[in-house]
Amino acid sequence: MPDRITKPSEPWSKPDEGGEGGPRTPDVNRPNTDKLLEKMRRVDPRAARRYRQRSGE
Amino acid sequence: MHRLLGLETEYGLYVDGVEVSDLVDEARAIVQSYAGFCVKHKWEYRDEDPLKDARGFRVAQLSHNPEDIKYERPTGKHLSSREDHVDHVLANGARLYHDHAHPEYSTPECKTLRDLVAHDKAGERIVWHCAQARARQSGRAISIYKNNTDYHGMSYGTHENYLVKRDLPFEWLVTALLPFFATRPIFAGAGKVGCEDPKVKGVEFQLSQRADFFTEICSVDTLHRRPLINARDEPHADQRLYRRLHVIVGDANMSEYTTALKVGTTALVLASFEQGWIPTITLRDPIAAIKEISRHFQNSMNLETDDGRTMSAIEIQRIYLEAAQARFAGKDKEADWVLGEWESVLDLLERDFTQLAHKLDWVAKHQLLQSFRESEKLSWQDEALISLDLEYHNINSDEGLFYALQAEGAMERLVTDQEITKAMINAPDDTRACIRGACVRQFNESIEALNWGRLWLKHENKIVELSLRNAFGHRVDELKDYVRGSSTVGELALKIIQK
Repeated sequence: MPDRITKPSEPWSKPDEGGEGGPRTPDVNRPNTDKLLEKMRRVDPRAARRYRQRSGE
Repeated sequence: MHRLLGLETEYGLYVDGVEVSDLVDEARAIVQSYAGFCVKHKWEYRDEDPLKDARGFRVAQLSHNPEDIKYERPTGKHLSSREDHVDHVLANGARLYHDHAHPEYSTPECKTLRDLVAHDKAGERIVWHCAQARARQSGRAISIYKNNTDYHGMSYGTHENYLVKRDLPFEWLVTALLPFFATRPIFAGAGKVGCEDPKVKGVEFQLSQRADFFTEICSVDTLHRRPLINARDEPHADQRLYRRLHVIVGDANMSEYTTALKVGTTALVLASFEQGWIPTITLRDPIAAIKEISRHFQNSMNLETDDGRTMSAIEIQRIYLEAAQARFAGKDKEADWVLGEWESVLDLLERDFTQLAHKLDWVAKHQLLQSFRESEKLSWQDEALISLDLEYHNINSDEGLFYALQAEGAMERLVTDQEITKAMINAPDDTRACIRGACVRQFNESIEALNWGRLWLKHENKIVELSLRNAFGHRVDELKDYVRGSSTVGELALKIIQK
């Protein structure tokens, strides 16, 4: 999995920051690929075949 | 954003051992399992008319998906309307009900993106808690998915609502919005493995869950023959002053960031229109364009315009971005956040979309599935990839793949868990939703009926109507104070009359 490059961004300042919130680095990490792959291997590969829905709006 | 915003999400469900024909009963039972404080079965439909078209006429009937008929099964049950349709208004101002075979959650009206994201996520948790209660009762495991397709050609919606000024002619809105909506999936799409149009072959992964299902430019329909622009004319506010833009073309987003960017950009585009700006671009075929962008984002970027030009989806988005930058840069923090992120996302989509994996749903999903595909040496056509796509949308935070990414700290978050928990029980304090929520708490037994724009409260042998259709700004504070300062409906009525 490619590295996830994060850059500082400023999701709007929190209400309790009184408008003083400066740029902050989002708390974003590179995912643990092995752990995710293991989790994906546990997903039933035929789950989508069984998944049937009525149409909605 | 200074505009009322809301999201409605129909959830998909899988119940162990239950066939699709019985999902209406399951959806109903899930909503019935809500254990929080609410008003039950009092929704008032008298202000709603789904057949009324904003272009000034009324259609005879709505289109229905003929495929649905094969799932209809006579049950022999005779349900009263109250048993048949379960409909709750919650103390946080939201509406929780079942729309046929789907549990549906409509957020309360929000004025900020931060509130909207928190309430959208609160809806996920509320529906999840309901499903768990139902599973304990029935003994059958339930999975709930926040997505828009069953990958077999059946779609269900995630609708956005924006209050706009009535003096914007609707036909004008349609023309001005089509290029924006046709290209918005480049950042707002939730991603999908494959294609559900049987005539189209060779699509491995596309940006949008919903693009396959649009066949019309504009109509009131939502269930079948779906339009890019929904013309339903139900303002849920003073109809002389407002219309509600009911957007059905979007995907269900798991990413908080994508939800905020999708709604934030759309709100700024509408604000630009309200200031008199109109884009000078018309796509030759917007329906073909949204499908082409969704299915071939990396290879085919040339969309034909009516005046013979070809433009990429990113170039078209930049036209809307520049108009919004010229009008709203520096006006408020939230608008600045949207403008900055919108520009940065378009730049990165042009240079290297993989750098957006921590922000955008379709990129996160694409990267996740690509890594699995390479690891397991699978083709995109392998059905395991579709099952993993579905699992990305599982709202069980212990099982869902989006939540696995989030738990790894790999998805950018915009709200805290505490804010989401708060939104599960409290309405936004700066919209009319807080008045509705306060009434649900204080006058629960006295509520005779309610909807988005009005409440009817019993007082002795009379009915007191509380209109929220013009409740904005100071009027919200005023009505909120009246409700919170009244111990009886009679006291509330007196305050309203004296004013």
